[in-house]
Amino acid sequence: MIALIVRRLLLGIVTVACIYALTFVMVISLPGNPFQQGQHNIPPEAEMALRARYSMDNNWLYFQEFLAGAVRLDFGPTFTYNDWTCNQIIASALPVSILLGFLAIMIAVLIGVPVGVLSAVKRGSWFDVSSLSLVLLGISVPTFVTGSALLIVFAVCLQVAPVGGWGTLGHLPLPALTLSLPFMAYIARLTRTGMLDALGSDFVRTALAKGASPRAVVWKHALKVAFLPVLSFLGPAAAQAMTGSFVVEKVFGVPGIGQHFVNAALNRDAGLIMSTVLVFSTLLVAFNLIVDVLYTWIDPRISESV
Amino acid sequence: MGMQSDNERTEPQALARADGSRPGAPGKPAARYGTPWRRFAHNRLTQVSAALLTVFVVTSLVTLPFSLRWYNVQELDKAVRHTPAFSPVVSYGHYVQRVTGRSGPGLSAQAEACGSVAHRASSWFGHDDLGRSLFYRVLPGFLVSLGIGLAAAGIAVVIGATWGAVAALTGGRVDLLMMRIVDVIYGLPYILMVILLKIALTRPLTALFAGHTKYADMVILFLAIGGVSWLTMARVIRGQVLSLRSQPFVEAARASGAGSVYILRQHVLPNLVGPIITYAALVIPQAVLQESFLSFLGIGVQQPTPSLGRLAADGVEAVNTFVGYWWLITFPCAILVLTLIALNFIGDGLRDAFDPKSSEAMLV
Amino acid sequence: MVRNLFFICGALLATTLSIYIFSSTEPRADFTYVNPSGIHTLDPARMSWTQDFRVALNIWEGLTTWHPQTLEPIEGAALFPPGVSDDGLTYRFAIREDARWSNGDPVTARDFLRGWRRGMEPGTATDYTFLFTENVAGAGEYVQWRREAVGGLTALARLRDGWGVSGEQAKAIVRNPVFEQIETAVDGTLFKPAKNDGNEAWERIATELGEAGVDWSSFYNRVFETHILEFDTRFDAVGLKAPDDQTFVIQLKRPCPYLLDLIALPIFLPCHESIELLRERYRGAPITAEGLVVYDPQWTKPDYHRNDYPGLLTNGPYRLSDWTFKRRARLTVNPHHRMARTVTCRTVDMAVYDNISASIMAYEAGDVDFLPAMDVPYDHEIARLARSGERPDFHLCHVSATYFLNFNCVSKSVDGRKNPFTDRRMRKAFALAVDKQRIVDKVLTRGDRVAYSFVPPNTIPGYQPPAGLSMDVDQARRLLGEAGYPDGTGLGPVELLYTPSDERVCQALARMWEQALGVRVELRSKESKTFAEDKANHRYMIARGNWYADYNDPTTFLDCLGTGNGNNDSGYSNPRYDAILAEANTACNPKRRSALLRQAESIIVEKDLPILPILHYATPIAIKPHVKGLYVNGRLWFPFRYVKVER
Repeated sequence: MIALIVRRLLLGIVTVACIYALTFVMVISLPGNPFQQGQHNIPPEAEMALRARYSMDNNWLYFQEFLAGAVRLDFGPTFTYNDWTCNQIIASALPVSILLGFLAIMIAVLIGVPVGVLSAVKRGSWFDVSSLSLVLLGISVPTFVTGSALLIVFAVCLQVAPVGGWGTLGHLPLPALTLSLPFMAYIARLTRTGMLDALGSDFVRTALAKGASPRAVVWKHALKVAFLPVLSFLGPAAAQAMTGSFVVEKVFGVPGIGQHFVNAALNRDAGLIMSTVLVFSTLLVAFNLIVDVLYTWIDPRISESV
Repeated sequence: MGMQSDNERTEPQALARADGSRPGAPGKPAARYGTPWRRFAHNRLTQVSAALLTVFVVTSLVTLPFSLRWYNVQELDKAVRHTPAFSPVVSYGHYVQRVTGRSGPGLSAQAEACGSVAHRASSWFGHDDLGRSLFYRVLPGFLVSLGIGLAAAGIAVVIGATWGAVAALTGGRVDLLMMRIVDVIYGLPYILMVILLKIALTRPLTALFAGHTKYADMVILFLAIGGVSWLTMARVIRGQVLSLRSQPFVEAARASGAGSVYILRQHVLPNLVGPIITYAALVIPQAVLQESFLSFLGIGVQQPTPSLGRLAADGVEAVNTFVGYWWLITFPCAILVLTLIALNFIGDGLRDAFDPKSSEAMLV
Repeated sequence: MVRNLFFICGALLATTLSIYIFSSTEPRADFTYVNPSGIHTLDPARMSWTQDFRVALNIWEGLTTWHPQTLEPIEGAALFPPGVSDDGLTYRFAIREDARWSNGDPVTARDFLRGWRRGMEPGTATDYTFLFTENVAGAGEYVQWRREAVGGLTALARLRDGWGVSGEQAKAIVRNPVFEQIETAVDGTLFKPAKNDGNEAWERIATELGEAGVDWSSFYNRVFETHILEFDTRFDAVGLKAPDDQTFVIQLKRPCPYLLDLIALPIFLPCHESIELLRERYRGAPITAEGLVVYDPQWTKPDYHRNDYPGLLTNGPYRLSDWTFKRRARLTVNPHHRMARTVTCRTVDMAVYDNISASIMAYEAGDVDFLPAMDVPYDHEIARLARSGERPDFHLCHVSATYFLNFNCVSKSVDGRKNPFTDRRMRKAFALAVDKQRIVDKVLTRGDRVAYSFVPPNTIPGYQPPAGLSMDVDQARRLLGEAGYPDGTGLGPVELLYTPSDERVCQALARMWEQALGVRVELRSKESKTFAEDKANHRYMIARGNWYADYNDPTTFLDCLGTGNGNNDSGYSNPRYDAILAEANTACNPKRRSALLRQAESIIVEKDLPILPILHYATPIAIKPHVKGLYVNGRLWFPFRYVKVER
């Protein structure tokens, strides 16, 4: 177990380092000038000096310095938001996104798994068909439409939720629900297929033959097997949910980190692009590791094969 | 397979982690190649979906001569701006004049009849804030969206299949390196990648398409989306090729002295058709959805060219406490959602048909 | 096992939620307004956004400020009016005895000197340095000297560190006086590119410099030390003086009748001396190794305390008491300000709503009291409600600003295709073919005013802009033919560059040209960053532009089109236009000045058409009925110190 974690951890560090190098290459080859933040070109001498000051006139030097900073968890300045550092931006936005993403994943699991189980058990029934359709709807409607619709219905018409912003409990449900819908849809689909496989397998038939109650068989034995694909989906899904979504943040005015992925790229803000990417990939690696550990915990047989 | 929140990506983890060794991989010899299609054709949901898509495509294509002329005809008069659905306001003659510049007769009776039907249709979906017929924007918009989806899926298939097949066939260090690269790119946020790719492609391609910015923009869009959607394809294909290589019938062929090119053509490629088609079908809706997110960001298809995503994104602010232009959001969204659901059903149907046993591996 | 997992997740959820609830917020402020995108920067020297100006001018106070209704300059931190010399070139301000920083320190003339100097620093200041260089005696020379020094030091520092230089950096060295010494030291002549050589020539000398076996650190030290020696004496030559703590003297290089209006802008704000604690020093000198003047950019934070920095100190009626990134900023009354007692609105919250539609909904729900921006796709309906009086809390501001199109007057080609707009006839043809009335009445329907001139009419006392051109399609077609493209034949597609927010107008414009002139128009909508870069580097044919009056004088608009002006996006250059403007600058008689400016403007809007004015904005704003003391005005200037909230 520990050997597994250590190996995965080392591999994760290597992956993150490669991601950093790749992002760096992309960022420096982008056209566009991060120092032009006003409407107009800044004097060439001043731009030259600023580039030199942030080591951005020399790619190799910049690569080293940013890496050295990142290792010390200091991501340096951003040029889009002059008064803030990348660290401050991440520190302010990441907790928001993590909370929201966590809630969204919880909602997705708590609704998606039971729906998937039930539709597998009642295969072909009206419940199965309608949940399948709802699931596809969850994947097919763009989040900016669902988000806006929820906002109009709950905040404007029914006035049971605030229209946007951040700071109170009431600000949580609508964005969390919007964010969770696509995840919920996938989890329900995954659970359904996993459950169908599990219900058709020998051990379930054996358990039933031995006289175990159908309910216990479904919710205990079969679900344990059916949950495994969901679990491996949850790793990357959690990383994605917890690094925010531009659309949800824009629609609900949530100060999360998703908007910075987009804004940093649009503003050619090299430091911010690389720090957000590093945050994302670290989370991804971490969640995949957690999932691996949970996997072996749920199903010890797997530890040998992983 | 189309995951949808903006920085999500398709992630067949079950596949990705299991190193391509999938249970029940199809070792079907080429002779049984016909059956999946029959299975596919007998799935009722796919039948309905395919029918729906066909209706959309045919309608869009049939009306294309009209929509190409009318999609950007602006009627700025108060009576036409924001007229709701199903209320005709602009006279047919007026339309003809705006489009052809002629006022009097001069069209054949047949053209006249077509024109009057087309004119009646123009008000079915209402008019937008520039007084343009939404009907004649939604239909070409559907084609644009579908085209972007198909092209992006095509690119993903070409890159992904080549990458995966090369990795699997070369094996050894090269394989390891190529798959590590895929892993690394997986670790990048999807939406950021699309935007960066779009920024990087914009200037060279605009120069290449000098004078046809409209087309350059669409090409950039599907290149950017396709350019980041090939990763899963690469993994799927690599897994397939690896498992095929160790199948008894391939080994038998090799033992009987068949050359590797022969084996590739006779045994490997036919068995790859299924997964490739299945996966491509699942990438299309994802690409269509991605285009709508880029439109929401304001960096999608260039106006006045319509696309479903663009129209839906524009329609989001059309209904609120001040204005209630419901048709601006309803029709584009309905067509978009129906299209995506149909594409998803078709993708599911293909998957079930080609690979009924281990569907969960492809699903996520 | 799965159930255990759920339990763990649930427990985690409960914990995070409770942390979240307990970390909840302070009570609501007296008055809340919305700043859609949040503050870009609070550094007055770097600001260029109206939203940032609004915060800055409420927490700082310049020598003058504007009246909330009439926008006339009124008393700020200095007594009003200042002493003016007979030739109008010297202004002597007496700083008020009771002007105080938010920690109680008196505001001195040196604070102004510090703030103004920052506004000229290369690398610090962004869009507004030209206000110094064009008006203040000696400022242009100082800025030029600083720029060259910064370029030279940067390049020498790179050579010293052994990293080699780029062509651009080599250019900076060759321009530096130290180059002569380098040449003698190299023992032989270095390749010296001519003035208009391309970058390749400079790359060549960059390689030569890199390979020259010279002791670069001694050259660097020499230049650095000379620069330090001259650093303050050079600034003394600028026409800004603080003979004592209470007196601030400005010497102008040309008469500037609108100076008192101008210096209310944020770039002319003072700066407390505590900022020196955050200055970056290199070898004890007040500049960095690159020669830049750099303060820790965190100095605008109220709770930043590195090096015993007390946090942001300001001298306005409010102080910044809290600022969270992209969420909100809270302004609290500055107890040391002379008007502190009369300010009834003790706390002001700036709320951030990225989505303007959501901010309008929040306003409707009563969460916010004031919306200074409501640009949403349905703003025509909001404007209608304001005009008809159905919603007395909605107002329409006729802003002193012009929405126009730039024609690219310089580039021979754009993206490899011929740019037809270097021909004046083409510009005029396109200008005559636009039905502006239709855009205002049928496309936007907000109640904007059609623009026939660059300067909005009836906003500047004593100045009436020329009549401009009205629509004339026949003449437009004729001009198009004269320019060599009869009925648009032979003319490739014309590109129109804009940002997504201009979608509607630009689509209508494109359609108008297509119908009137038979040309093909390609729309190029770019996100604002690419848009700004393409525009500033003249990679466009026609580009959307807008300009908001900074002060109440025609030159705030007309200067933009002077040759080489940083805001001259069309690249227009007409010696006659420049000469008339220069003459107007020295004209002492206001009537004559006004006539000259009018003559200059008529060149722009009637003859040369480097820009095509479309409309003067009407911006809807929303003020809750219980809020008094906010006035609708042409510069969207809303001082909160007069606000009274009667709930």
